[in-house]
Amino acid sequence: MRNGTVLLLLAAMALASAVCLTSPGTGSAIAATLEATDSGAPSAIVMFPVSAKPNPKGSAMAPTVFNHLNHEKAVDKCETCHHTGDPVACSTCHTVEGKAEGKFITLERAMHATSIQERIGQTPTSCVSCHEQQTKARRECAGCHSIVTSKRDPAWCATCHNVTSSMTEQQRKAGIDGTLPREQNEILAAETVQAQKYSRMLTPMDGPYKVSIDALAKKYQPSNFTHRRHVSSLMEGIRGDKLAGAFHNRPEILCATCHHHSPLSTTPPKCGSCHTKDIDSKHPDRPNLKAAYHLQCMGCHKGMQVGRPKNTDCTTCHKARP
Amino acid sequence: MNRRKFLTFMGSAGVISALGTAKVAKAGVHTFPYYPNSYGVLHDTTRCIGCRRCEEACNIVNKLPKPEKPFADTTVTHTKRRTSAYAWTVVNKYQVNGKDVFRKLQCFHCNDPACASACFAKCFQKQPDGSVTYDGSQCVGCRYCMVACPFYVPGFQYDEAFDPLVQKCTFCEPRLKEGKLPGCVEACPMDALTFGRRSDLLNLARARIAENPGKYVNYIYGEHDAGGTAWMVLAPAAPAPQPADTKDAPKETQPHEDEFTQLGLDRHLGSQPMGELTYGALGAVPMIVAFWPVLFGGAYAISKRREARYKAEKEAHIEATKNDLAAAVDAAVRKIEETQGPGAADTARRAMTEALQAREAANVAEHGEDK
Repeated sequence: MRNGTVLLLLAAMALASAVCLTSPGTGSAIAATLEATDSGAPSAIVMFPVSAKPNPKGSAMAPTVFNHLNHEKAVDKCETCHHTGDPVACSTCHTVEGKAEGKFITLERAMHATSIQERIGQTPTSCVSCHEQQTKARRECAGCHSIVTSKRDPAWCATCHNVTSSMTEQQRKAGIDGTLPREQNEILAAETVQAQKYSRMLTPMDGPYKVSIDALAKKYQPSNFTHRRHVSSLMEGIRGDKLAGAFHNRPEILCATCHHHSPLSTTPPKCGSCHTKDIDSKHPDRPNLKAAYHLQCMGCHKGMQVGRPKNTDCTTCHKARP
Repeated sequence: MNRRKFLTFMGSAGVISALGTAKVAKAGVHTFPYYPNSYGVLHDTTRCIGCRRCEEACNIVNKLPKPEKPFADTTVTHTKRRTSAYAWTVVNKYQVNGKDVFRKLQCFHCNDPACASACFAKCFQKQPDGSVTYDGSQCVGCRYCMVACPFYVPGFQYDEAFDPLVQKCTFCEPRLKEGKLPGCVEACPMDALTFGRRSDLLNLARARIAENPGKYVNYIYGEHDAGGTAWMVLAPAAPAPQPADTKDAPKETQPHEDEFTQLGLDRHLGSQPMGELTYGALGAVPMIVAFWPVLFGGAYAISKRREARYKAEKEAHIEATKNDLAAAVDAAVRKIEETQGPGAADTARRAMTEALQAREAANVAEHGEDK
């Protein structure tokens, strides 16, 4: 039997693939349920913090899932992200420590950098820089996003750094070492994407119709703030938007633009609970109550390029005392 | 006094005075004491909406005359107004990268004020609370302070016929003493003005720049400008540059004017107090005023005294010569009288006197009257 070894190998491979295809509960079936991409790239992948250094304990930032399908639809050319023109994984050049191929730009920077130097030809973009460009350029986003700045907060990070809990420790370590087989990666990613649900936002009806802002009324009459009209106009602007849907991942998150710095809640504290009428000498950078109102209202209006009322038309919002 | 003496005097006087001046100049890079707990105000121009409430409050608090146009009229901000003796603060509109930005102008209350360095009557004082105060009781109205100020802030009461004064923002020093905020700070509806210790404000400004990436220019105007000022300014950053869509688009070579210059703030004041340029020279002024009159007055007196003595000696000598001559003539006439009789003596006396007078007249004509 001259070809015994070859036959044996072939038989083993056939057996392995059969097991892979038929074993219950694995992701091939799930992966197949995701829509295929035009480019032939996987519909979703898990991005691990790949490191060139040995990392036996596997301590690293939580991996993220990247929905390749949605992003491929949203940008016009592959080079927007694959800035070298070569569609390889980001971690090929940008590792946790950085390497010469990636001009020692670390994976963290490659994903999060915001002020990226213009290049001749293709300027690279990071995840954050591209998203930020959207939130600043689109009027429906720019209002809130001109007064909200992203924070290094676990809740904010977990929007992306969040992979299905069925990922085993071994898979995670293999991912960090860059040795996780591609099929397994895709299975994990598909599972994560399918588990993602757009969170049901609160509706404008959950909030009050009008709010009378009268804490300071002295020179002017109280301001009748049309709370519901404002909320519904903000919600209308981003209805069905995938970027907004993916990142506004908690029901009360839209409220948190104005009702900031307090835990998300449907009954947020009053502005005056933190903002005192006269500036608080212990918190010199916390605006006083009057300024807090004006900064929030005008900051958002400025971001959204709301033409009227003008910032100096005082009596449009609060009528003059008769 | 002859030429040589004059040159010797002038030379020695020059050397002495030069030595004196040099000593004064060396004695001081004079600096005002730095007050670490002094107060300041941070003006955040990204917040300012140009409502002129600060101007109104300033006017009321300082009991200034009512302006021609009411404070509700915000169109006046479109012209580049300056502060004056009756408007100690003004808000103007500027275009920064094509966007409207408002900036308040008032006295910056420099750490080492140029106005104080220029004032020889010592009317201006940097106070430990951070304010630069003006006391008009000594003011002579020379307006050197107005020339010296790098921000063109002090105003002069040109309409006052008697005792016109220089007027400028006082940092509401009387109010600070009562524990109140400056009028403009209190009136700002946007908290575009933040009052605090200067050192805290610098930290606060840096925190604001860091927490809002892309919102501010990473520069605090007044931290070092003109030697540091108590009032400091933050400017909005340029919007992200538009991505060039073609590779062969000509590279932008136009120099980008920085945001503070667009806001009408001079970025070329340097980090050295203005006064340091003039303390040396101006410090010599009292020395010159006090010393030079004595020096040159003394030199003049000495030379005058010498001249007087010389003249007296000369006159005495002339007198003696005249007496000698008269005695000689008398002796000669008496001799002639003895030998040839009185008629000949008279003739000889007359002839000799005439000859002497003719000679004297010739002498005077030749050398001029002796002074």
